[in-house]
Amino acid sequence: MIEGQGIPTLLIGTAHDIISKVTAPRVVFVDHPVGRTFGPPHDRGRNEAVLERALAELPKFTRAGEIRDPGFQWLPDGSRAWERELIAEMRQDR
Amino acid sequence: MPFEYLPIMAQNSAPKPPRVLVKPSKPAWCPATKPLNQSRVALLTSAALRLTQQEPFIPREDFGYRKVPSDPTAGEIIIDHHSGIGRVPKQDPEIVFPRTALANLVKRGLVGSLAPFHFSCMGGLRDHAKIENELATAIARDMKEARVDLALLVPY
Repeated sequence: MIEGQGIPTLLIGTAHDIISKVTAPRVVFVDHPVGRTFGPPHDRGRNEAVLERALAELPKFTRAGEIRDPGFQWLPDGSRAWERELIAEMRQDR
Repeated sequence: MPFEYLPIMAQNSAPKPPRVLVKPSKPAWCPATKPLNQSRVALLTSAALRLTQQEPFIPREDFGYRKVPSDPTAGEIIIDHHSGIGRVPKQDPEIVFPRTALANLVKRGLVGSLAPFHFSCMGGLRDHAKIENELATAIARDMKEARVDLALLVPY
Protein backbone atom coordinates (compact mmCIF):
# COMPACT_ATOMS: atom_id res chain seq x y z
CA MET A 1 0.00 0.00 0.00
CA ILE A 2 2.75 2.43 0.95
CA GLU A 3 4.95 1.53 -2.01
CA GLY A 4 1.84 1.84 -4.17
CA GLN A 5 1.72 5.49 -3.12
CA GLY A 6 5.24 5.95 -4.45
CA ILE A 7 6.97 5.72 -1.08
CA PRO A 8 9.73 3.11 -0.78
CA THR A 9 9.77 1.08 2.43
CA LEU A 10 12.46 -0.64 4.44
CA LEU A 11 11.35 -3.21 6.99
CA ILE A 12 13.76 -3.77 9.88
CA GLY A 13 12.81 -6.97 11.68
CA THR A 14 14.00 -9.69 14.02
CA ALA A 15 11.71 -12.66 13.30
CA HIS A 16 13.26 -14.19 10.20
CA ASP A 17 10.73 -16.99 9.81
CA ILE A 18 7.89 -14.45 9.80
CA ILE A 19 9.39 -11.76 7.63
CA SER A 20 10.45 -14.34 5.06
CA LYS A 21 6.82 -15.39 4.63
CA VAL A 22 5.12 -12.01 4.31
CA THR A 23 7.29 -10.79 1.41
CA ALA A 24 7.87 -7.16 2.25
CA PRO A 25 9.58 -5.18 -0.54
CA ARG A 26 12.87 -4.69 1.34
CA VAL A 27 13.87 -6.32 4.60
CA VAL A 28 16.92 -5.96 6.82
CA PHE A 29 17.16 -8.87 9.23
CA VAL A 30 18.39 -8.01 12.72
CA ASP A 31 19.37 -11.16 14.61
CA HIS A 32 18.25 -9.85 17.99
CA PRO A 33 15.51 -11.17 20.30
CA VAL A 34 12.07 -9.99 19.24
CA GLY A 35 11.13 -6.78 21.01
CA ARG A 36 14.74 -5.53 21.08
CA THR A 37 15.27 -4.66 17.44
CA PHE A 38 17.56 -1.73 18.16
CA GLY A 39 19.36 -3.15 21.18
CA PRO A 40 18.97 -3.41 24.94
CA PRO A 41 16.96 -0.79 26.87
CA HIS A 42 18.61 2.60 27.42
CA ASP A 43 21.56 1.97 25.11
CA ARG A 44 21.26 4.96 22.78
CA GLY A 45 24.62 4.34 21.15
CA ARG A 46 23.61 0.86 20.09
CA ASN A 47 20.13 2.02 19.00
CA GLU A 48 21.75 4.46 16.62
CA ALA A 49 24.41 2.03 15.41
CA VAL A 50 21.81 -0.59 14.53
CA LEU A 51 19.63 1.92 12.71
CA GLU A 52 22.58 3.38 10.80
CA ARG A 53 23.81 -0.05 9.76
CA ALA A 54 20.33 -1.11 8.64
CA LEU A 55 19.90 2.06 6.58
CA ALA A 56 23.27 1.46 4.92
CA GLU A 57 21.68 -1.59 3.27
CA LEU A 58 19.06 0.51 1.47
CA PRO A 59 21.00 1.12 -1.77
CA LYS A 60 21.96 -2.54 -2.04
CA PHE A 61 18.48 -3.93 -2.71
CA THR A 62 17.98 -5.03 -6.28
CA ARG A 63 14.64 -6.87 -6.25
CA ALA A 64 11.35 -6.99 -4.37
CA GLY A 65 11.18 -9.42 -1.47
CA GLU A 66 14.91 -9.42 -0.80
CA ILE A 67 16.07 -10.00 2.78
CA ARG A 68 19.51 -8.65 3.60
CA ASP A 69 21.46 -9.85 6.64
CA PRO A 70 24.24 -7.44 7.65
CA GLY A 71 25.35 -9.81 10.42
CA PHE A 72 23.92 -8.28 13.57
CA GLN A 73 24.67 -10.22 16.78
CA TRP A 74 22.86 -9.79 20.08
CA LEU A 75 25.77 -10.95 22.22
CA PRO A 76 29.34 -9.83 21.46
CA ASP A 77 30.59 -13.42 21.20
CA GLY A 78 27.79 -14.36 18.82
CA SER A 79 26.41 -17.02 21.18
CA ARG A 80 22.73 -17.96 21.09
CA ALA A 81 22.39 -18.08 24.88
CA TRP A 82 19.61 -15.49 24.68
CA GLU A 83 17.25 -17.90 22.97
CA ARG A 84 16.43 -19.92 26.10
CA GLU A 85 15.51 -16.77 28.00
CA LEU A 86 13.38 -15.58 25.12
CA ILE A 87 11.48 -18.86 24.94
CA ALA A 88 10.58 -18.53 28.64
CA GLU A 89 9.47 -14.97 28.02
CA MET A 90 7.31 -15.97 25.08
CA ARG A 91 5.70 -18.82 27.03
CA GLN A 92 4.10 -16.14 29.19
CA ASP A 93 2.62 -14.51 26.08
CA ARG A 94 -0.73 -16.27 26.12
CA MET B 1 20.39 -20.38 12.11
CA PRO B 2 17.79 -17.72 13.00
CA PHE B 3 15.49 -18.33 15.94
CA GLU B 4 12.10 -19.79 14.94
CA TYR B 5 9.18 -17.86 16.36
CA LEU B 6 6.27 -19.47 14.56
CA PRO B 7 6.22 -22.81 16.47
CA ILE B 8 6.08 -21.01 19.83
CA MET B 9 3.45 -18.59 18.59
CA ALA B 10 1.35 -21.53 17.39
CA GLN B 11 1.58 -23.18 20.81
CA ASN B 12 0.69 -19.92 22.52
CA SER B 13 -2.39 -19.35 20.42
CA ALA B 14 -3.87 -22.80 21.09
CA PRO B 15 -6.67 -23.76 21.17
CA LYS B 16 -7.24 -20.98 18.67
CA PRO B 17 -5.64 -21.69 15.30
CA PRO B 18 -2.24 -20.10 14.71
CA ARG B 19 -2.04 -16.81 12.94
CA VAL B 20 -2.12 -16.95 9.19
CA LEU B 21 0.68 -15.03 7.55
CA VAL B 22 -0.36 -13.48 4.27
CA LYS B 23 1.40 -11.71 1.48
CA PRO B 24 0.08 -8.41 0.15
CA SER B 25 -2.76 -8.85 -2.33
CA LYS B 26 -1.35 -6.00 -4.41
CA PRO B 27 2.44 -6.21 -4.11
CA ALA B 28 4.19 -3.05 -5.18
CA TRP B 29 7.77 -1.98 -5.59
CA CYS B 30 8.84 1.63 -5.62
CA PRO B 31 12.53 2.18 -6.41
CA ALA B 32 14.47 3.91 -3.64
CA THR B 33 16.27 6.41 -5.83
CA LYS B 34 16.44 9.46 -3.59
CA PRO B 35 19.65 9.66 -1.55
CA LEU B 36 19.07 9.03 2.13
CA ASN B 37 20.69 12.31 3.08
CA GLN B 38 18.04 14.12 1.04
CA SER B 39 15.10 11.97 2.15
CA ARG B 40 12.30 12.74 4.56
CA VAL B 41 11.84 9.65 6.71
CA ALA B 42 9.00 8.33 8.87
CA LEU B 43 8.78 5.32 11.16
CA LEU B 44 5.84 2.92 11.16
CA THR B 45 5.58 0.63 14.18
CA SER B 46 3.08 -2.10 15.00
CA ALA B 47 3.73 -1.77 18.75
CA ALA B 48 0.49 0.14 19.31
CA LEU B 49 2.49 2.88 20.98
CA ARG B 50 1.43 6.47 21.48
CA LEU B 51 2.02 9.57 23.52
CA THR B 52 0.55 9.25 26.99
CA GLN B 53 -2.04 11.93 26.22
CA GLN B 54 -3.21 10.26 23.00
CA GLU B 55 -6.20 7.93 22.87
CA PRO B 56 -5.27 4.41 24.03
CA PHE B 57 -5.36 1.49 21.61
CA ILE B 58 -7.92 -1.17 22.41
CA PRO B 59 -6.43 -4.68 22.32
CA ARG B 60 -6.69 -6.79 20.33
CA GLU B 61 -8.55 -5.60 17.24
CA ASP B 62 -8.02 -1.85 17.06
CA PHE B 63 -7.74 -0.78 13.42
CA GLY B 64 -6.91 2.82 14.23
CA TYR B 65 -3.50 4.40 14.18
CA ARG B 66 -1.77 7.27 15.92
CA LYS B 67 0.47 9.96 14.52
CA VAL B 68 3.33 10.31 16.99
CA PRO B 69 5.44 13.48 16.79
CA SER B 70 8.89 12.72 15.42
CA ASP B 71 10.51 15.15 17.85
CA PRO B 72 11.96 12.90 20.58
CA THR B 73 11.27 15.57 23.17
CA ALA B 74 7.57 15.77 22.31
CA GLY B 75 6.43 13.55 25.14
CA GLU B 76 6.54 10.20 26.83
CA ILE B 77 5.74 7.09 24.79
CA ILE B 78 3.76 4.17 26.14
CA ILE B 79 3.07 0.81 24.50
CA ASP B 80 -0.48 -0.58 24.46
CA HIS B 81 0.34 -3.81 22.62
CA HIS B 82 -0.72 -6.87 24.60
CA SER B 83 2.21 -9.12 23.72
CA GLY B 84 4.11 -10.70 26.59
CA ILE B 85 7.40 -9.77 24.96
CA GLY B 86 6.47 -6.17 25.69
CA ARG B 87 7.88 -6.25 29.22
CA VAL B 88 11.32 -5.24 27.95
CA PRO B 89 10.40 -2.62 25.32
CA LYS B 90 7.92 -1.08 27.75
CA GLN B 91 10.97 -0.17 29.85
CA ASP B 92 12.33 1.75 26.86
CA PRO B 93 10.17 2.04 23.72
CA GLU B 94 13.15 3.39 21.77
CA ILE B 95 14.40 -0.17 21.26
CA VAL B 96 11.43 -0.84 18.98
CA PHE B 97 10.74 2.77 17.95
CA PRO B 98 14.09 4.49 17.42
CA ARG B 99 12.78 8.02 17.41
CA THR B 100 15.87 9.48 19.07
CA ALA B 101 18.31 7.48 16.95
CA LEU B 102 16.63 8.65 13.75
CA ALA B 103 16.67 12.27 14.91
CA ASN B 104 20.39 11.91 15.64
CA LEU B 105 21.04 10.58 12.14
CA VAL B 106 19.35 13.72 10.81
CA LYS B 107 21.60 15.86 13.00
CA ARG B 108 24.63 13.99 11.64
CA GLY B 109 23.50 14.59 8.08
CA LEU B 110 23.06 10.90 7.20
CA VAL B 111 19.27 11.27 6.89
CA GLY B 112 17.74 14.31 5.20
CA SER B 113 14.89 15.15 7.54
CA LEU B 114 12.15 13.77 9.73
CA ALA B 115 8.51 13.64 8.73
CA PRO B 116 6.53 15.68 11.27
CA PHE B 117 4.94 12.48 12.54
CA HIS B 118 5.74 8.82 12.82
CA PHE B 119 2.96 6.25 12.61
CA SER B 120 1.82 3.59 15.05
CA CYS B 121 -0.74 0.81 14.75
CA MET B 122 -1.68 -2.46 16.47
CA GLY B 123 0.26 -5.52 15.36
CA GLY B 124 -1.25 -9.00 15.25
CA LEU B 125 -4.57 -8.00 13.72
CA ARG B 126 -6.31 -10.91 12.05
CA ASP B 127 -8.59 -9.22 9.52
CA HIS B 128 -6.12 -8.85 6.67
CA ALA B 129 -8.59 -7.38 4.20
CA LYS B 130 -9.41 -4.61 6.66
CA ILE B 131 -5.71 -3.97 7.25
CA GLU B 132 -5.13 -3.51 3.53
CA ASN B 133 -8.34 -1.69 2.65
CA GLU B 134 -8.60 0.63 5.63
CA LEU B 135 -5.60 0.82 7.94
CA ALA B 136 -2.69 0.60 5.49
CA THR B 137 -4.51 2.69 2.93
CA ALA B 138 -5.08 5.51 5.42
CA ILE B 139 -1.49 5.43 6.67
CA ALA B 140 -0.14 5.46 3.11
CA ARG B 141 -2.34 8.45 2.29
CA ASP B 142 -1.11 10.34 5.35
CA MET B 143 2.50 9.56 4.50
CA LYS B 144 1.95 10.85 0.99
CA GLU B 145 0.43 14.06 2.34
CA ALA B 146 3.42 14.44 4.67
CA ARG B 147 5.75 14.08 1.64
CA VAL B 148 7.51 11.08 3.16
CA ASP B 149 10.33 9.78 0.92
CA LEU B 150 11.12 6.62 2.89
CA ALA B 151 9.07 4.66 5.41
CA LEU B 152 10.90 2.53 7.96
CA LEU B 153 8.68 -0.33 9.07
CA VAL B 154 9.48 -1.86 12.43
CA PRO B 155 7.26 -4.85 13.24
CA TYR B 156 6.69 -5.52 16.93
